[in-house]
Formats: sequence, structure tokens, C-alpha cells
Amino acid sequence: MAGVVTGWTGRVGAGLVALVALAASPASAQDRLTVLCGVQEEWCKAIAVAFEKKSGIPVAMSRKSAGEALAQLRAEAANPKTDVWWGGPGDPHLQAAEEGLTQPADSQHVADLQPWALSQHRQSKGRSVGVYAGALGFVYNVEMLAKRKITPPKCWADLLRPEFKDEVQVANPNASGTAYTALATLVQIFGEEGAFDYLKKLNDNVNQYTKSGSAPASAVSRGETLVGIIFTHDGINQKVNGFPVDVTTPCEGTGYEIGSVSIIKGTRKLDAAKAFYEFALSPEGQATGAQAKQFQVPSNKKAPTPPEAPNFEDIRFIDYNFQKYGTAEERKRLLSRWDSEIKSVGK
Amino acid sequence: MRHSSALWVVLGWVGFALLPWFSSAATQLSVNPPGAGLAGSALIDGLANGRWWLVPLLVPLTAGVGAVALPRHHPLHPWLLLVGGAVGLLWTVVQGFAIGLNGWSWSGLAALFGPLPQGQGAFGLGAALTMTAFLFQTTSGFAGLGCMKGDRFTAGAIGLVLLSIALFVFLPVGFVLSSAGDGGAGGFSPLALWTRLTAPDIWRLNCLYESRSCGVVWNSVFLATMTGLLTTLLGLAFALVAVRTGFRAKGLLRMLTVLPIITPPFVISLAVILLFGRTGTVTLALADWFGIPPSRWIYGLPGVLLTQTLAFTPIAFLVMIGVVQGIGPSLEEAAQTLRASLWVTFRTVTWPMMRPGVANAFLIGFIESLADFGNPLILGGNYDVLSTKIYFAVVGAQNDPGRAAALGIILLGLCLGAFWLQRRWLGTKSYATVSGKGDNGVPPALPTGVRVAAFATAIPWAVFTFILYGMVLFGGFTENWGRNNSLTLRHYRNAFDLTWGEHGLIWAGRAWDSLFTTIQVAGLSAPLTAAVGLMTAYLLVRQRFAGQGAFEFFTMLSFAIPGTVIGVSYILAFNQPPVELTGTMAILILCIVFRNMPVSIRAGVAAMSQIDRSLDESSLTLGAGNLQTIRRVILPLLRPAIVASLVYSFVRAITSISAVIFLVSPQHELATAYIVGRVEQGDFGLAIAYSSALIVLMGAVIALIQLVVGERRIGRRTTDRLALQEKPV
Amino acid sequence: MSIATNAAGVEFRNVTRRYGQAVAVNDVSFSIRAGDLVTLLGPSGCGKTTTLRMIAGLEMASSGTILIGGKDMTRLPATDRNVTMVFQSYALFPHMTVAENVAYGLVVGGMRKAEAAEKAAAGLDLVGLSRYGQRLPSELSGGQQQRVAVARALVLEPEVLLFDEPLSNLDAKLRRKMRDDIRDLQQKLGLTSVYVTHDQEEALAVSDRIIVMNRSVIAQIGTPTDLYRRPRDRFVADFIGGANLIEAELIGRADGVATVRVGHAVLPVPDADVAADLPLGGVLLAVRPNAIRLRAEVGTGNGVPVTVRKATYLGSHMEYGLTSALGDLFAIDTNVVNPVPAGTTVTARFADDGVMVVPR
Repeated sequence: MAGVVTGWTGRVGAGLVALVALAASPASAQDRLTVLCGVQEEWCKAIAVAFEKKSGIPVAMSRKSAGEALAQLRAEAANPKTDVWWGGPGDPHLQAAEEGLTQPADSQHVADLQPWALSQHRQSKGRSVGVYAGALGFVYNVEMLAKRKITPPKCWADLLRPEFKDEVQVANPNASGTAYTALATLVQIFGEEGAFDYLKKLNDNVNQYTKSGSAPASAVSRGETLVGIIFTHDGINQKVNGFPVDVTTPCEGTGYEIGSVSIIKGTRKLDAAKAFYEFALSPEGQATGAQAKQFQVPSNKKAPTPPEAPNFEDIRFIDYNFQKYGTAEERKRLLSRWDSEIKSVGK
Repeated sequence: MRHSSALWVVLGWVGFALLPWFSSAATQLSVNPPGAGLAGSALIDGLANGRWWLVPLLVPLTAGVGAVALPRHHPLHPWLLLVGGAVGLLWTVVQGFAIGLNGWSWSGLAALFGPLPQGQGAFGLGAALTMTAFLFQTTSGFAGLGCMKGDRFTAGAIGLVLLSIALFVFLPVGFVLSSAGDGGAGGFSPLALWTRLTAPDIWRLNCLYESRSCGVVWNSVFLATMTGLLTTLLGLAFALVAVRTGFRAKGLLRMLTVLPIITPPFVISLAVILLFGRTGTVTLALADWFGIPPSRWIYGLPGVLLTQTLAFTPIAFLVMIGVVQGIGPSLEEAAQTLRASLWVTFRTVTWPMMRPGVANAFLIGFIESLADFGNPLILGGNYDVLSTKIYFAVVGAQNDPGRAAALGIILLGLCLGAFWLQRRWLGTKSYATVSGKGDNGVPPALPTGVRVAAFATAIPWAVFTFILYGMVLFGGFTENWGRNNSLTLRHYRNAFDLTWGEHGLIWAGRAWDSLFTTIQVAGLSAPLTAAVGLMTAYLLVRQRFAGQGAFEFFTMLSFAIPGTVIGVSYILAFNQPPVELTGTMAILILCIVFRNMPVSIRAGVAAMSQIDRSLDESSLTLGAGNLQTIRRVILPLLRPAIVASLVYSFVRAITSISAVIFLVSPQHELATAYIVGRVEQGDFGLAIAYSSALIVLMGAVIALIQLVVGERRIGRRTTDRLALQEKPV
Repeated sequence: MSIATNAAGVEFRNVTRRYGQAVAVNDVSFSIRAGDLVTLLGPSGCGKTTTLRMIAGLEMASSGTILIGGKDMTRLPATDRNVTMVFQSYALFPHMTVAENVAYGLVVGGMRKAEAAEKAAAGLDLVGLSRYGQRLPSELSGGQQQRVAVARALVLEPEVLLFDEPLSNLDAKLRRKMRDDIRDLQQKLGLTSVYVTHDQEEALAVSDRIIVMNRSVIAQIGTPTDLYRRPRDRFVADFIGGANLIEAELIGRADGVATVRVGHAVLPVPDADVAADLPLGGVLLAVRPNAIRLRAEVGTGNGVPVTVRKATYLGSHMEYGLTSALGDLFAIDTNVVNPVPAGTTVTARFADDGVMVVPR
């Protein structure tokens, strides 16, 4: 009888021992520089490898969406475990700066940086600086537009055309930073009342307010919808992956995000963190984006711009006021107005 | 018995005087760090380094020595253990929370007692050991006073489970929920709480009379109820087909039902989109053949319901199969001899006997649906549910943790309601059917109606699942799924490449790192989950103690809260002293264990309430302790439940993402996080190839668990050979 | 290898068991001599099973003291008491063979496997099941399972062996046989046994002494003869052996004779069988059914005129339902050759033996 019982407990025991042995096998490095990465995984990996090669400092890189990264930094505030936050829209970087989660830093590359990158540095009181920029734009499915004989949208106004009824996707600004950028952009172009008028009309053409900012891009690529409002690099990504999509920026002007880098306040590896900060701003570090097939525009003028990247010369940018639309109150006000006037009207 | 008390007293001293009290790795102590080894023990540090608040622990530790020194039946013996242990535990916890890294944790304390010269780090090995010793001294004391029938093991187990649940469920959840009443200036404001709890977008009922959307609560409740009903129904149908019919391909059937559970969540949603989306295969086929215009019906309630049902039916099946197997055939035979027809027998005997299983399966489906966030995220469209609302309140552009917490409270309330209803429905009836008396009946055939219904439900569903998975597996071998279907091995090579280098094998594929981490985490957390869950189930079913109902509810707590909230709460709670775990693999494992424990508990409770209590009692009177009784009598009879919880927790550890996304330290990337990144990128090929590999891996592990744990042998007579081989998945 | 005995006595001192507000066992005291078989007898819910489980250690006394073999065991859990139990449901472990079941207690107690198997075989031999060791419990008949349960409890050589309604799942013939087997085994091994039953016949048949319980307290303790001949109250009189309870008056006690008036009749009862502290006045006369004798003659002396309402033929005896001025009576008569037909009026006389006086 005992044979039955000890037999299988023995087997379970042996299995457990094997698992623990397995768990113990790989060495885990405590001394690595911990970086939260806000861009696509390929780029995260590419820059980590490049930095390790150059500096000899091992990097532990973890990909997090902007919201997740910010939530994590907040939660860790009393005893930070993260050293650097690299990539992701400038907005949450500004918020982190506002909340004192990050610390000021200066770079030797200041002279080479684009003005928008420096404006991020100024507005965050030195706590954050731009590493790349991405323009807001439209992505559309070329095949399906051709099939339906619809001309591609070129302007914000085009999205209100009746042939796009139920064919536009954009993220929910309450959930996605991309969509909030779009909301703020519209407010800056049309004025607040004009923007909400536009959004009310657009609401008839929107089939879904997605939760993730880049979701409309993949929906368009699969033909689930004709048009999406996204950051253009997300659309280009789909195109490079072989989907029949194309990307454009609206004629009335458009907003943009400034992908940023910040050093976390209270980091225990300040020197290493600074080294990474410098690397992220160097032409060499910024070139990793193109190597990883990421098509944002680098902030260092000396860094090569990938040919697929939207030519910023051709884009009509608005003078995006990050200072005003980045604050918590303005954000909350616009979002709750959007919630009550747009979202709650069905859909 | 004395030995164990003495042992714990000694271990308490070892932890206090010999081992480093503080954790060395986690926190850097800026001021006056305690020395290594012996010098870092609480005793030396407290006396030499000015951390005087550690010294009072000598009092309860000495009380323990006093207790052990007393003769066994001395009336003071249990009292000394009890009071000493409780005071020691309390003091350790209080000083741990009151004094943080930089002195007093709350300014009020500094004002009251004056500033401290230095703070302290997180609990280390010594503190953990001493606290455990205090805990077991306390419970031994309780047992010595005659509580828990005087059984130290039971008392200790209850203490241990309670403390772990307090530490790893209450504490983090408390951290998050307390922010629901955050008035903005850091203080608690009932008004803010009230406003958040009663927000109109949560409760409005507009959808009933106009074309606006209803409050998110109603959406969630409706979805969860539907999912609960559908999964229970399907689970029941599968269980009946698998156990009670002569269906040939039972193995295949079981495999198919288990597939969804071993699939990373995003993959099902993707497959569903590729089948039923506007340009999906099925949609286009329907448009071509029948002229049904393509639409986006899949986005919203229908899609979420479909994927959730796909995802949670296997859990319902796992719960139901144990229950259906456990029904004593003689009861049904008895009903038949009482002139009940097959149908009446089913309705009046079989069905009521299955009620605990049905109730448990429904409860799990309901709560899983409430907490699920992956499927609503991808397929939800404009159908908002609580879990996604909470997620975006935390990580979204709103960044409103207070609102997230308020929604979390509502979600908890819903779970509490479901739980209460379940208890009401089950009542206090006894469902014991595995009694000490050998049951030598032969299970009767199912009534035709039930039989047909079971087959008619189970088989189409199985076929559907089969097609879905066929597509997923096929997708891994295509260039670009849905667009360019030429075959390639590119994605697999990309993920799992192996090359020989100078120093031997090189794991060159991109997936290896995350795969190894995932296997370790899952492999370690699965047995722990099963152990904690079944232990708790044992306490719930077999022991009687005050506050049992509340205890049972609280064990469900971590399950009811969406993973994202749990993840954030774990960081909030365990990022700083006294308990500091962030960045370790331990926090991942603990989070997964305590999050998946409820399923283990439910499976254990359902199975254990079918084992007659007299079996334990007879084992006790035959001189076996509770521990031996569990090992030799209960566990062998619980094998289906053990398999269920091992499988479930292993699989969940691999497929879960939301809870661990904040806890994944860069060193430990998990497979799902990696796959989600691929999906976001539109790189479906690699995502699907990786998912397929995971599915195969999990299938292999399930087979292994089956093999290791084995089957229960209770020698029931059966009608066919097949049913003899009880093979719960 | 043989089964030895470690029989020890059991003593309850003012033991009470509460469940919240409800009291299952209320201030119970008794003692059981080593080597005796004592039955706890009473109707359902009287507290007899709780009492048994407190001896086993499966329930803890809320107050009071429990001594086994002279040692205080009140707070000791079941595991640590040398007491074994045969359960009503047998509680055989369904996943173990019969031999494994019997060896279970020995193995968990730390005995070497070979030795335990040998002893288990001896135990099975004792109950006549030596050939069934490798079967599973579900492959045995009810009676065989019962005997396995007994063997499993015996091989541990317990200080006290408990039986919780062990025969209630068996058929009548088997019950009688098992009852005798248990009694034989108990006497042969000199075991201290405590036996719970609600069947008074079973209790009378097997017990050295009987503890009658009613409503959480002990109604009476005594030998089977004691309880049958000298019940202390109407409950015991009725529960053991059955009795017709007739309102009567105790009118005198002298010279070893207690005089009772029933209706117009006056009966002498041996004073020794009447409780010494029973005052003169209203009492109940408890008359055993077989102490009522029916006579054809009417209206003489101490007889009571009765009408036969119902006469039932049971082979070995007749059962009569009677109507009389004293109320409805129930009588048994061994005269089956000339039964009294229903509807006739006859005289009932009370035999000297089988008439008891209990307080009202």
C-alpha cells in the first residue's frame, strides 16, 4: 500500500527537484542597467546590444507601453528599481517629470539635437529629452480603397466623407496616448468647439474606438477597416511587413509625438544611466532605429534618417503646445468632455 | 509533538541571533548598513547598531523557551507559546511597517516619538525564519488549548494559509483599494469615493430605451453571466460525453477541449478575427456563397463572448469531469429501482449531485469573464467592460488610479455577489458520494435527450475548436498569414534556431530566453499553486473554524481582480521594506501562485466534498496524523483534482500576461509578453509559431503530469473497459 | 503473530459538548471498566454518537474531563489516543486493497512493512477473511466489508474499541451473526468496547452494561437486567423492552411489597424493584406486553376488562391491541393455538413479573 503512495510522491518530488535545478541554472545579473523601453521590441534589443558593445555595461531591457511604464515608475517611486526610461511618447515623460519621478540631465549632444527635441528638454525642466519624432497621420488599405474606387484621404476633412461611413478607426483617447495626441491636435487646429464639432461628425464614420493606439494600423492592414488614425511609423511598419497599406499626413496640419528618454530619480547606477542617456542621443545610438526597421525620425541631426521614414519637410506640422496639453488638468478636462459628448453617444 | 514546538523555538532563535535579519540583495541601506552574516543578525544589529526596536523580540523568544521547558501538560505551556508567538509576530510586523528605509514610515510617528537616527531594510532570511517560528508557536499554542480538535498540523496550516493570504492577497489589494478614496491631497475622502463609485458611466441603463451604451457594470455582468452559463453548459456536455457515453474518440475530445486553455490569450482572438472578421475566411466564404454582406459583428459582445467561451470551457470541463466521475452509480441505480425513468433519474439524482460542480464551474466562468482582459481588449470593440476600464484607468491616458480602485471595488462586489448566490444555491446539503463503503454500482446510460444534447453541444464545438487550431498551427508555417499563404519554416527557425559554436551549443533563436524563463516560472509555481490551493480546500471542507465563510471569500479575492491591478498592487506592496520582492523571480511566482490558487481551491473543494468524512476520521482513529491522512487517504482520492490544479496553474503561468507585465523584470522576460510584442508589430508568423510551440510544450507537460500523478483506483465496476481508465485531462 | 490486548477503562467526568448554543452532550459522567462492552443506547439525536466521538478524540469536550486508562485525554487529538473505531459506513479506503486497509494503522504507526503485513494477515484471519487480502473493498459484500473494518481496528490492539452503529447497514440475519461474532471476539480478546446503537435488542444482547441516553443526558446506567427490570423512569421503561404506561397510585410500601392501585384493582410489586426515594402518590405503572395475561372469565378480582381491538399472528406468539378503561394496551401472548379473536371482551390480569413502578 505504501508502495502506491510513496511511489507517486517520490515521482513528484523528483520532478520538483529537477525543476528547481532548472530554475537555478541561468545566472541572473543584478548589476545590469535596468531600462524600460517604450518602442518596438526589435529596437529595444538593437539599442541594448549596441550599447553593451560600446560601453561594456550590461543592459536589462523591458518593453512597456507608455502607460504601463508610467504606472510602474509611480508604483516604484519610493524605492526605484529602474534606471532609465527610453522611448515612448513625450507626454508621459512630461508627466513623470511633473511628478518628480525623473531627474534632470544634460547631454553633450545638445548642439546636434533638433529643436523639437530640445523643446521637450525645456518643458520638462531638463528631466527628459527627445530621441525621435513620429507624426500623426492616416493609414489606409490600398487594395480595398481601389476595389471600392475611393480616393485615399488627404485631409482631416476627408475622413467625414460619406464613403468612409463606418470605415474609420481611431483609439479611445482615454486609453491611448496616440488618440489623445490626435484630440489635442484637432483642438489646436480647429479650436476646442470646432474640434468637438468635427469629432461629433467623425463619430458617425468611426466603427470602433480601439484601446491600443496602434491597433487601427493592424486593423487596416487586415482590411477590417479602411482608414485608421495612427502615428505614421506604426503604419509604415505594416507596409514593410508586406501589407497593402499606405500612410499619409493630413493637409490641415498634424501633431506629433516626441519619443523621449529620462533618467529615473533615485537610480543607483547614475553613471551607467548617464552613459545610456548619452548613447541614446548619439548618432550611433539613434542609427539603431533604422537597423531595427523602425521608421521614426531621429532627433540627432547627424543621425541618418531611414529612407522609409516620413520626410518631415513634407509634413505640415502644427506648433504643438506640449506644455498646455500635457498638464493633468487640461488632459482630464478634454478627456471627460470627449467622454460625455462623443463616447456616450452610442457606438 | 513537543519536539516540533521546541524545534520552532530554536529556529526562532536561529533567525534572530544567527542569520542576517535584513535582505542584503534588495535594498541598499544608505545609513549604517548591518554587517554580513552573524553581525547582521537582529540581535547583534539591535544591540550594536542602534536599531533598538529589534531588541524587544527577546521577550517573546524567551517566552517560547519557557514554554518548552515546562512539562508537557502544564497549563501554562500552551499559553506561553500562544502569547509569546502572537506578541513576537505582531511586534515584528508592526516595527517592520512603522520603520522604513529612512526612519519612521509615517510623519505622525516621528512627531510622536521623535526622529530616528536611521531606518532599516527589508526582511531577510532571519526575519522570515523568526516570523515563521512565531507563527507556528502561536498555532501550536492554540492547538494545545484544544482548538482545531487539538491538532497542531491543522492549526499550523490554517495559520500559514491565513498569513500567506494576508500577505500576498490582502496587503497588495488593500494598497490599491485604499486609493479609491484618495481625495487628491493624499488624504482619504469619502466624498471622492462616493463620486467615483456612483459615476453615471458605470451604472447608467440608457441602452434599454435609447441607442446609447449602458453602464460598464451592466455590460460586465451580462457578459460574465452569459460566459458562465455557456462554459458551464459546454463543460457539462463534454464531461457527460467523456464519462458517461461510449464515445470512441474521448481522448481526442479531451485534447480539443484542453487546447484553448493552453493557448496564449491573444492567439484565440487573432484566429477568431481571421475567421470571422470582415475579411475573415468564413466571412468571405459566406459572402461568396450566400451573399451575406461582410460586417464587423465579431467586434463587441459576440466576439468577446465567443473567445471567452472558447477560453474558459476547458476549466468548466476540468471541474465538471471530476464531479461527474465522482457520482456514486448506486445512487442512480437506486433511483431507477424506485421506478424513475432514465430522464427522471437524471433530473432528480444525477443533476442534483452535480450541483456543486455546476455551481463551481459557473462561478469560475463568471469570475474569469469578469477579470479577463485580453479578449475584450482585442475584440471588445465599443463594448466596455470593467476589466478593460480598470486597465486603462491605470495605464491609459487618464492615469486615474483612484478610479481604477473604485471600479476594482465594484468588480469585487460583483464577485462577492456571485459567490453568495452560489452558496445560497448549494445550501447545506451533503454531496458526499465517495463513501467508505465500496460502491459497486454500474452507472446507468444517460437519457436519450441528455445524450443527444450533450453530443450536439460537444461535437460541433470540438469541430470548431479543431478548425481554429488547425488554422493557428497552419499559420505558423505560412509566409504572411492571411495574405501570402506559401509555406515556410522561416518563423520557426527565427524563434528556435540552434547552432554549434566554439563553446558548444548556441541558443540562437529569439524565443529561447523567454521560453526558459517561462518554463522555470511555470514549473515552480504550478506545484506551489496546487499545494496551497488544495491545502486551503482541505481546511475549507474538512475543518470547522470561526470566520470560515469570510476566509473562503477572501481566498477568491485575487482571482476577482484583473491581473493588471494585481500587478500594480504587487509593486506597490512589495517594492519597499518590510517586504521587498520586486525584480526577483519570487515575485512572479508568488503573484501567479496566489492569482491561480482560487481555481485550485474550487477544484479541491468540489472533489473533497465528495469524499466522505468518515474516511479521514477512521484514518485519524487508526493513529495517522492529519498530515498522514492527507498524504495517504485524501490525496490519492483527490488525484483528478490534483491533476486539474497542476495543469491549470502550469498553463496559466505560461499564458497569463496582465498580472505579470509589471512584475517581469528585464532579466526575466516571459513568453506571452514576447508574443504580444510580436502581435503588436504585426509579425503574426513568429507569434503564431511561438504559440504553437508553447501549445505543444504544454500538451507534453500535461501528459507528464498525468503520468506522474497517476489515476485514482477505487475499483468501481464499469460497463466498458474505456471508462475504467479514468483519464481526467 | 497474534493480536494482543491493551484494554483500558474509560471515565467521563462532567463532560459537556456544545455547538454554539446547542448542547449535544450535557454534563455526562460515567465510567467503563477495562474489558467491558458498554453500549450507548438511545434515540437519534440523544448525544450517544457525540459521546462516542469524544472518546475517539474526533470531537473535543467543551468542558469536563475524559480519562482513558486513568490518564487525562481530554485535549488529546484522535491520532494520539490508542482508541480505534468501526464506522457505520465502514470507512474503508476505496483506493487500497483489503490488506492495505488493515495494515494502514500499523504502517502509519511506523511498523515495518513485512511485520505489518503479517499482523494484518492475522487480523484478517481473526475475522475469517484471510483469503480476501488482495481484493478492493468495493469487491466485498457488506458483511465482509464490516469485518474488514473490525480487523483494521483490532490489529492496532487499542485500549478501547469503538463501534458506531456497526450493524445498521446489514440484513437481519447477518446482524445477528455479526453481533454474536463481535461479542465473541470482544470476550476472547478481553477488549474494552463502546458500542453505539439505537436498537435496544442489539444492546441487550451484546452489552455488559448499557448507558441509556436521552436528550443529551444519561437517563440510566446499568446491566441489561437492571435496565429491563428496574427502569428509573418512563423513558427507559418504554425504550427498553417496551411497556404499557398506565396511570396508577402508590398507596403503600411495607414488608418488601409496594402496593399500587390501578383503577379498581390493587397490585403488589416487589419493593426492591421500586426506587427507594419514590414517594406515595401518583406514579406510572409500566407493564411489559408479555406481562398482560388474557382470561376468558369476566369481572373477577383484580382483572381489568378489555376488548380485543386487533389480534396479529406472528408464528411464535400473538400480538394484541386492547382497549380498556386504563387506555389502549399492547400485549403479547405465546398461546398461538387458541388465540383470542378480535372483538371479544376478556379480562386482562398483570403477571407478577414484568410490572414496574416509575415516577410520573
